Amino acid sequence: MKIYTTAILVFVLYLTGCATPNTGYYWENYSGTLYSYKQNPTPENRSKHISELRKIIKKAESKSSRVPPGVHAELGYMLAIDGDKAAGTSELSKEASTYPESKTFIERIYIMLGLGEQ
Amino acid sequence: MKNIFYIIAVGYFVASCSGLPVQTKLEAYPAMYDDRKPLSVLVIPAINNSTAAEATDYFNVTITEPLSNVGYYTMPVEIVKDIFLKEGIVDSTMIKGLPTTIFKKNFGADAVLFVTINKWDKQYIVLAGNVTVSMDYVMLSTETSEIIWQYSATQTIDTTAESSGFIIADLISTAITTATTDYVPIAKQANYQAFYALPHGGYSDQHGLDGDQGISTTLKDAALDDER
Repeated sequence: MKIYTTAILVFVLYLTGCATPNTGYYWENYSGTLYSYKQNPTPENRSKHISELRKIIKKAESKSSRVPPGVHAELGYMLAIDGDKAAGTSELSKEASTYPESKTFIERIYIMLGLGEQ
Repeated sequence: MKNIFYIIAVGYFVASCSGLPVQTKLEAYPAMYDDRKPLSVLVIPAINNSTAAEATDYFNVTITEPLSNVGYYTMPVEIVKDIFLKEGIVDSTMIKGLPTTIFKKNFGADAVLFVTINKWDKQYIVLAGNVTVSMDYVMLSTETSEIIWQYSATQTIDTTAESSGFIIADLISTAITTATTDYVPIAKQANYQAFYALPHGGYSDQHGLDGDQGISTTLKDAALDDER
């Protein structure tokens, strides 16, 4: 068990040194606001997470980097559920155009939310 | 923080002379470097075998960022969960036996990633507090159902409170810190750690260039220890 732990420690440190992911995404506090909303799903926490998603998109635009995967989709999904179908579908289609491989997934969301044809 | 640098120094030293089994990423995960390599990954909501019910949420909200940053298209776990619920899937263990091809058809995913949380133990002893987290990651191709990547990550993270210089005060504050620590960054760190062993995907500028990086054969094999 001791050897196993040591092996893990060594490799973490070894690998930490060499692999720095570089996709240029800005995630802001995505995990934090999502976690708060899940723990306590109040309208206030929901709108905080929605604002955070918008902030991520703004940041990507200002840095001319790609919006991270799923952010347009999650924003569109939440907006559509809240009744703003126009804004929701607009965000969902942005996800599909930014990441063409998400098309089937986005279609699936359209079906689930009854948003009609993409 | 000083401790971390110390550990890193020792880590490098030990790594250079320990003779632990090492493989390159290319040797360990050949499918990640040929036509079978995925671009889009469907993360199945975590299966929690630990004693801490709250661990599931910590992992589900912190996995998208590290996985995307390694260059993969990652579907938001919360939406995936809702879709599964609509289909009557309330627990990820229900998905384990299914042919992975259904995820190609229904989600357009090239791969599915199963995460099993084996350990999420918080403890504080006298003046020191920590949390030990341990997860297994197994990625399967949705074309062939074969395992294309797997890794096991275990990490102990210090949650000891800053010392005030008074032992009784420290004792109490370490207990409180361990109980009220924000575990979101800890879960994220654990996920990041596992993905150091993941070959970079198409959206990373390291894509196709990391085949000669070393990974631990022991941790690679450990990910499958609890299967079956």
